[in-house]
Amino acid sequence: MTEFLNTYGFLIVSMMFAAMLGLSLYLPLMTGQLSLASPGFYALGGYTAAVISARIENGRYLIEDGLRYPATYILLEMLVAAVLCAILALIVGIAALRLRGIYLALATIAFVEILRVLSLNLEITGGATGIFGIPQTFVGNKLQYAAFAAPMLLICAFFMYRLERTRVGRAFTAIREDELAAAAMGINNTFYKVLAFTMGAVLAGMVGAVSAHFLNTWNARQGTFDASILYLAFVIIGGSRTFVGPIMGGLLLTALPEVLRGISNIDGLPEWLSLLLIDGRLIIYGLLIALGSIFFPQGLLTPDIFVRRKTKAPSTE
Amino acid sequence: MTLQNFLQNLLNGLAIGGVYAIFALGYTLVFSILGIINFAHGAIFTLGAYFTYALTGSPFGFNGVLAQSRLPFGLPFLLAGLGGAILAGFTGILIERIAFKPLRARKADPLLTLVSSLGIAIAIVNLIQYLVGAEIYSFPASKLGRFFVENPAVFFEVGDSRVPVRTVQIVIFAVSMVIVALLTYLMNGTKLGKALRAVAEDTTTASLLGIDTDRLILATFFLSGFIGGIAGTLVGISVGINGPYFGIAFGLKGLAVIVLGGLGDIPGAVVGGIVIGLAEAFVPADYVGYKDAIAFALLFIVLLVRPQGILGRAVVQKV
Repeated sequence: MTEFLNTYGFLIVSMMFAAMLGLSLYLPLMTGQLSLASPGFYALGGYTAAVISARIENGRYLIEDGLRYPATYILLEMLVAAVLCAILALIVGIAALRLRGIYLALATIAFVEILRVLSLNLEITGGATGIFGIPQTFVGNKLQYAAFAAPMLLICAFFMYRLERTRVGRAFTAIREDELAAAAMGINNTFYKVLAFTMGAVLAGMVGAVSAHFLNTWNARQGTFDASILYLAFVIIGGSRTFVGPIMGGLLLTALPEVLRGISNIDGLPEWLSLLLIDGRLIIYGLLIALGSIFFPQGLLTPDIFVRRKTKAPSTE
Repeated sequence: MTLQNFLQNLLNGLAIGGVYAIFALGYTLVFSILGIINFAHGAIFTLGAYFTYALTGSPFGFNGVLAQSRLPFGLPFLLAGLGGAILAGFTGILIERIAFKPLRARKADPLLTLVSSLGIAIAIVNLIQYLVGAEIYSFPASKLGRFFVENPAVFFEVGDSRVPVRTVQIVIFAVSMVIVALLTYLMNGTKLGKALRAVAEDTTTASLLGIDTDRLILATFFLSGFIGGIAGTLVGISVGINGPYFGIAFGLKGLAVIVLGGLGDIPGAVVGGIVIGLAEAFVPADYVGYKDAIAFALLFIVLLVRPQGILGRAVVQKV
């Protein structure tokens, strides 16, 4: 067991982060708005933590060995990242959420690309090389970062479970099902759309802040269009009608490459097939996204999982 | 900026803008008929360039399953480009059948179609990488023909100075404009174009009038893939095939082009393409790192200020 945890510590924590990033894309989708902006906020959160924590001397980022970074500082960085992301999300959200459907998706793609190019060119983000030597709280097994990731994921899951059963969550669903009818019932569509968008942004930013420490380095490749597609895959394949979908999607799809690698090691497989299983992860993702949206438009997990199966009362004649 | 620089930037901008324009026309065709953006268009564009490269009989690199293999024959460049475009067109048809038709038959949410075409795009791009690796390929001038070897640049006499411009840039711009002209004629001057416009206007009425809408949709996807493939080959000639992912990046810029011009509008796509091409060409050298953001900054601003695009008309949302 310890050996397993040592080998897969990095993967396990990555899976938890992925689940939360799936949720950050799922939140705006609850109101029917396809926003691909999450990687932008994720990158912003990571840069926030990296800029605050990495030490600069003579214009160079130093890597300090054996120096532990207090965990409380990371919590503070998460707070700063959350505030920054919320402000940016409000500005972008109020402007962009007047757009619907495809236009909103395009605007958020543009947003992510603009942030990416900015981070590639600005001095504070370390340009193309990014920021190195982000101080570590834990030395050794990366699994220790689960001390952040696991509580975060549990809180998120509880929060989402409650959200879907409160006034706000029901307003989200009403907007998704029919914007006009929702407005007619007195729901302030713009308010709830911006709220969902901002909540997703804050979550992505906070995950980014911890991720920066977890990965030790942060650069412009963290927030790209590819990442948008990946998070979208978590939601579409996992399920887009209940929060359990993106969580399971994020956990399982992040573990998938390792599983495929395991299968590819089985003796007797033709070489092209084992190569496909190792290198072809994204081919499989792509096909899963396409087939998932065609055959399981609501994803693999649907809200039915919460409905207790009631035994039919015998008819009393 | 000297006059010489200005002229060079102008012609470079027009050349790349012309390619943006015909690439974006592929999106426009599909959008005008189905009201859906085909996210796999960028992947078709990439495929077109690779098909052309393979058909010229050039060898692939050291990575991937097909490492160092090549076709047993090599076509002249013009034929290879045409063949690449036709194969790209058939890929368009294939994508229609896999990613679009099942969802259309079910009258699904258009956003789902966006997602399914995106999935196909990711699969295609990574399949290319799996097969031939992520190397950069370029078309050597010798493949293009003797003319380009002997005349790598054309000189323009401006006042007392001679301004050199790469011959391929001029050819690329000319080819793009010819395609725009042909497509405009096809849409406005032929029976096929009339039928396409009828389907775009109202699919149900068009089919009641005896138009085979399903066949026309296939024709649209073929046409869209065909010109997408040509655009890929043209960019391949100009700057090389920058790995399998270059179509995705190009595809995102193409989205900026069509939104800029107004979704589903042919002249709009051309204007949008040229505007973005020129805007990128005139970025000052100090800020060249920001070049890739220009298209998206324009996209963002246009979406917020004038969502119907520069040339588009506002559509009243009916309930």
